[in-house]
Amino acid sequence: METSYLINLLKEISDIMAENKDKLIAMDGIVGDGDLGLTMSDGFKAAYEAVEDGTIADAGKLLFAAGKAMANKVPSTMGSLMATGLKQAGKDLKGKESLEDKDIVQIFASYEAGVAKLGGAKVGDKTFLDGIHPAVESLQASLEAGESLTEMAGKAAEAAEEGFKATTTMLAVHGRAATRGEASRELEDPGAYVAALIMKAFEKSVA
Amino acid sequence: MKKIINSPDNYIKEMLEGIYIAHADDLTCVDGDLQVLVTKHKKEGKVGIVTGGGSGHLPLFLGYVGKGMIDGCAVGDVFQSPSVDQAIALTREADSGAGVLYIYGNYNGDIFTFRPAADEVEMEDDIETAEVLGADDVASAGPSAPGEKSTRRGVAGIFFVYKCAGAAADKMLSLEEVKRVAEKANNNVRTMGVALTPCTVPRVGKPSFEIEDDEMEIGMGIHGEPGIRRGKLEPADQIVDEMLDKIVGDLPYKEGDEVAVLVNGLGATPLDEQYIVTRRIHQVLEEKGIKVYKYYVGEYATAIEMAGFSISLLKLDEELKEYIDHPVDTPFFKQV
Repeated sequence: METSYLINLLKEISDIMAENKDKLIAMDGIVGDGDLGLTMSDGFKAAYEAVEDGTIADAGKLLFAAGKAMANKVPSTMGSLMATGLKQAGKDLKGKESLEDKDIVQIFASYEAGVAKLGGAKVGDKTFLDGIHPAVESLQASLEAGESLTEMAGKAAEAAEEGFKATTTMLAVHGRAATRGEASRELEDPGAYVAALIMKAFEKSVA
Repeated sequence: MKKIINSPDNYIKEMLEGIYIAHADDLTCVDGDLQVLVTKHKKEGKVGIVTGGGSGHLPLFLGYVGKGMIDGCAVGDVFQSPSVDQAIALTREADSGAGVLYIYGNYNGDIFTFRPAADEVEMEDDIETAEVLGADDVASAGPSAPGEKSTRRGVAGIFFVYKCAGAAADKMLSLEEVKRVAEKANNNVRTMGVALTPCTVPRVGKPSFEIEDDEMEIGMGIHGEPGIRRGKLEPADQIVDEMLDKIVGDLPYKEGDEVAVLVNGLGATPLDEQYIVTRRIHQVLEEKGIKVYKYYVGEYATAIEMAGFSISLLKLDEELKEYIDHPVDTPFFKQV
């Protein structure tokens, strides 16, 4: 695949965040300060717009530039975390001008690693990672099994959705939700929902 | 609010202007940004060590920029992190080909400043970076499991991390080695503080918390974060005993160990009182069979005008002793 595929991917992510803006605002209003819908739609839009002209051939530099644009646009906690995922993917793909399936899997693995490193959360802490982690595991299993990209993406989107739903069994340990203690358990985590949306956008981008 | 200032909004700017005037031979700013400060005595091929965080803690962080210690720092407004762009500019300036080590306190705001900055310089400038996060405040959280991220805050003990890492870098060790030394110091330092009065952030204009005239709070953080016990003010010896009990038990420091001791005033506690405290620290450590290799007494990491002090212990081995003895010459801190 050409580097230009990444522009499509970022466009799909930007679109899905815009479509879900109100839903994210409502979810975040329950556990946080309610601005997540704006942060995600503005942030991913800025990421997409920074690279849509297609002048960057290096896949790593493209993703990094997108992350940087997002970080500058939405310097909140969640904005910084999502931007860092893009930047980490950029660092790990630096020098590549065409993409194989394993590179696509690497993007999401790097994304997870970048977010985990900056945020310091673990899987099970009721965060974004609980959506992205099962998706990355699914992608890696699909890659080993030699499945098609379409098939991989479908399964990963499903895994992220399952992961998001499972956050209703977890105790929040980060952010404002954590101050609710045991009462936080039944709440859905909006960060994990963002992960599910990203994977759904990925599925659309290869359909 | 009773402060010798012109206006709360100019507090940081005018403080920094004064620093550059007084230390014109040693310090300069980067790209005209007063909040990004570096040494004028850059040593080619040496690992750069940089730090940063909020203002309001002088001589932390600015005062440790100089020979034998650190190379630069970025400071934000009072108790606020500097920006990512400031940290990037700082890193580029501090690098002289051997990479840059970030040493800063374990606060989310600072993590969200320095990690993105590290990503950027690694990607765009091919500068190798590493980081060590100060997390020495035993009152701020329980110890973390091996390999887990510490949830403790960084306080005055970071002075020892700068001291040891700064010496290692000055001896031209590699980035990996300087990081190892910084981690060794960091893993062997523990701190606890006590506050008698709150502090007032100039732009807020009100004290950060309330405490009665006859009360103290053991374990309070350097931004007024809640401590572990509030009670009636006690005699100095009793306060020291309680703090040392927690500190010594935490590492733990054992009979036969050698330590460096830092007695740190929080901003409004006179040196007289700090030496009264030092006297008792000596008695207690002697009773426990812990030998003091070196004392540092004075203001090293303050919380604006908070009254109170902290005690830090650094457990030493032969290597760290060598770095503790290494000469330093910074605007605030000199050791021959």
